[in-house]
Amino acid sequence: MGRIVLDQVSKKFGDVEVIPPLDLTIEDGEFAVFVGPSGCGKSTLLRMIAGLEDLTSGNIEIDSEVVTEVPPSKRGLAMVFQSYALYPHMTVRKNIGFPLRMEKMAPDEIDKRVEAAAQSLNLIDYLDRKPGQLSGGQRQRVAIGRAIVRDPSAFLFDEPLSNLDAALRVGMRLEISEMHERMQTTMIYVTHDQVEAMTMANKIVVLQAGVIEQVGSPLDLYHKPQNVFVAGFIGSPKMNIFSGSEAEKHGAHTIGIRPEHTDVSMTDGTWEGRVGVAEHLGSDTFIHVHDTGLTDMITVRITGDISVKHGDKIYLTPQADQIHKFDAKGQRIA
Amino acid sequence: MSDRKLPRLLQAPAVLLLLVWMLIPLGMTLYFSFIRYVLNSLRRPEWTSPSLSNWRGFGNYEFVLKSKDFLLAIQNSLFIVCSILFLTVILGVLIAVLINKAFPGQGVVRVLLISPFFVMPAVNAVLWINMILDPVLGLQGIAVAGINEFLDGLRQIPVLGGFFSLWPEFEPVSFRATQTSAIAVIMMVTWQWTPFAVLIFMTSLQSEDQQQKEAAVLDGASTWSQFRFLTLPHLGRPIAIVVMIQAIFHLSLYAEIEIVSRGNGNKNLPYLIGEFANNNIGAASATGIFAVILANFVAIFLLRMVGKTLME
Repeated sequence: MGRIVLDQVSKKFGDVEVIPPLDLTIEDGEFAVFVGPSGCGKSTLLRMIAGLEDLTSGNIEIDSEVVTEVPPSKRGLAMVFQSYALYPHMTVRKNIGFPLRMEKMAPDEIDKRVEAAAQSLNLIDYLDRKPGQLSGGQRQRVAIGRAIVRDPSAFLFDEPLSNLDAALRVGMRLEISEMHERMQTTMIYVTHDQVEAMTMANKIVVLQAGVIEQVGSPLDLYHKPQNVFVAGFIGSPKMNIFSGSEAEKHGAHTIGIRPEHTDVSMTDGTWEGRVGVAEHLGSDTFIHVHDTGLTDMITVRITGDISVKHGDKIYLTPQADQIHKFDAKGQRIA
Repeated sequence: MSDRKLPRLLQAPAVLLLLVWMLIPLGMTLYFSFIRYVLNSLRRPEWTSPSLSNWRGFGNYEFVLKSKDFLLAIQNSLFIVCSILFLTVILGVLIAVLINKAFPGQGVVRVLLISPFFVMPAVNAVLWINMILDPVLGLQGIAVAGINEFLDGLRQIPVLGGFFSLWPEFEPVSFRATQTSAIAVIMMVTWQWTPFAVLIFMTSLQSEDQQQKEAAVLDGASTWSQFRFLTLPHLGRPIAIVVMIQAIFHLSLYAEIEIVSRGNGNKNLPYLIGEFANNNIGAASATGIFAVILANFVAIFLLRMVGKTLME
């Protein structure tokens, strides 16, 4: 079990309010991702759930029990840190077994559990090494192993993949998703990388300056961003957002169109522009279009390849049903 | 080859200088320890200048080994060094952990804590033996006299006084005596060198990874477990450094021993060397060689011990 409810939770550091009171419910078994630009308070929120930061006001419930005053170790949560936070003087075996040793579990039982965890994480050959002798990915796995052995009601991940190289990151992303499918335990995952959020989450919580901008499934956020911030944050490359006369034509203060929802033609279209840089990825081509008169630069995404040169004239046509409209406050117009 | 030759050539003067610096004194000590060499002798004036014709073989070593003070000096050296190491490391770790937490006035406290280290050894010894440990005029004497006076007062109380009159009078301890002078030396050197340990441990504590501690908190580690399993292993290397440096320094203690008791019952090896060197350079050199052997032995032994227990 692991249903986590935040009730009017807020945090101040001195006079600075980093998190104004917010409500959030994470259902049992959910994979929730807190995503937002750096400094948005997502890590602070996670640390408050873990008990590493005190709340300024409000309450946190885990399985309908108020844990606001409960010490971190008694909340039944396990956390994986960005820096792995392995104990450098202990072997992998002792690292993974440390929480059990602190519970004063019998040594045989600890050994059994550690070996089981190591087996599932492919660490069995490394049990007698020290963290310093492991690669980044292996260290990350040890940190996860240390979380798994405790059999927690929820896992907390604090940007666990940001110290890994790109290839490893994709691999670990899959492994963590796989782990969640297998264990069906609540997981809360903090990241600034919207790709990680989109690929792993059941529920994404988009934060900005400590305020929840939107909560929803990845596709909800993609198709129906509640406001300009979410529209710009979710999706890669970024949505093209602009206001002005073109937006007013659609009866909105601001409109947005995703790069993949814009058709391209060399002969005619709604908007005319000049090709800037074209990024050829093979499967896709990203074209940065200038001089449209709408905004500095519009990015479009074309499946497959297209031969355009820098400076070519190009015509863009937005797909009418894919235009996102926002009012003067940046909120979505239905 | 040539790209290796040039750096070596450039290093050569420094290496040569260091070798000369080390080898000449050591060589001379060895040489003197095998010949008869005294500063003054009316009976055998030929012994007053070093020469191979005065060869004595291991005679000087035999003489030193048989002298009544030698065993005492070895014991004393080890006792003093080990006690000081034990006390400074424990006090150093405790104080460093204590002042590592943020509190108002932290900066002032840190400066005050370091200050004993700036006192000259001889001054330190004079202050301690005269102003603190003196059985009459020192703090000790005043404190003991005060306690006795207070007890005297209690004895005047009608009924309860009977109970207190069973208590003995306290007597101040003389720290210049044969049995206690080593204790006095240990106290004053510990006071002076604990700041050194604190300083080294404090800088090391500041580099401790805070996320590891947070992970340990989540793993259910108590404050003691965090100290035992994270902080202490983290301090392993600095402790080894403190032990090593202090062992070298304290094996050669001299000023404190001279001032406290003039070596009365409390000689260590350097003091014994000093006594021999008043006239008998041969014996002093032989003792010096023993001191070199002892220092190496202590350093290796202590480092092994510290390394094994702390690094797991």
